[in-house]
Amino acid sequence: MSIQTVLIKLEWSSAGPLSLKKMIQRMAFILLFSSIIGLGANVSLIKKFFSGEYQYGFFSLEEYSSIVFITLGEAEELFATGSALFIDSRAVEDFKEGHIFGAVNIPFVEKKKKDELDMESYPLEGIYVVYCDANECQSSVELAKLLHEKGFQDIRVFFGGWEEWVREGLPVSKEDDSK
Amino acid sequence: MIRNKHILLFFRFVVGGVFIWAGLSKIFDPLGFAQNIANYRIFSQAVSLFLALILPWIEVICGLLLVLGIFRETASFILSGSLVVFLGLIIVTLMRGLDIDCGCFGSLSRSVDYKLLLMDCVLLFFSLNIFLSQYSAKKRKQNTA
Repeated sequence: MSIQTVLIKLEWSSAGPLSLKKMIQRMAFILLFSSIIGLGANVSLIKKFFSGEYQYGFFSLEEYSSIVFITLGEAEELFATGSALFIDSRAVEDFKEGHIFGAVNIPFVEKKKKDELDMESYPLEGIYVVYCDANECQSSVELAKLLHEKGFQDIRVFFGGWEEWVREGLPVSKEDDSK
Repeated sequence: MIRNKHILLFFRFVVGGVFIWAGLSKIFDPLGFAQNIANYRIFSQAVSLFLALILPWIEVICGLLLVLGIFRETASFILSGSLVVFLGLIIVTLMRGLDIDCGCFGSLSRSVDYKLLLMDCVLLFFSLNIFLSQYSAKKRKQNTA
């Protein structure tokens, strides 16, 4: 006797085609049940979300402790003192059209596919400012996570990115002027 | 529409198995899946998180129902609907030229490309056949009764 036959005998299933009403009821039950389990099992995650922990992306700041998000003012100060290496995570074509003066290009999408960073010559203890287009772009965050996993210890993500830098009229370049 | 019960059984196990595996891989990495959804740049952060917490459970439950042969019509209808939505998302993403992971299998996800589009079409074909075969078989039984 199949499970379906047992269910028909218990009148939990029907031998005839399912009425629309019954199908909607079952769908609603499955959706409600999934919602209760899914939300119930992740209450702490939901609390962290509403406390603003995931405003820059869905990852744990505790787990990626070497990553800090900085403002335009903080990025400008690091640029002025020359104490950080700026890393542009956008595609090569975007970098060539214009980038923060002195930045190096590590196009995240291409590098991720080849699984290489080409950062072996850079000290792990240095300060690195990663940026991409603007705050809707995630490649800077993803590259920062990759840098953390490679052992780099001080990674600053400039979330406002290229758009905010250009809007404020700060130094830019189209050439390869990285140090 | 396929009526052979052995082929339909194969379809049930394939679709059910794929969705159970996909759902479980995302249940254990809700943040990763939420980020995958956010990368499509269609939903807000709050909606991305909500979907990331609910969708995997829907997939696992419907997958189990299919494999066990319980509520096959409802389960295959839900999974067919979700596959239609996934196909729409894939097409839009390809048109926008976004190079992102699909988020289908959590951290084991592949990129959004034409192979993924084909895979989803195949799964949709399987699940639609399951749904339609259930419906028509019961209709025939009702008519002959």
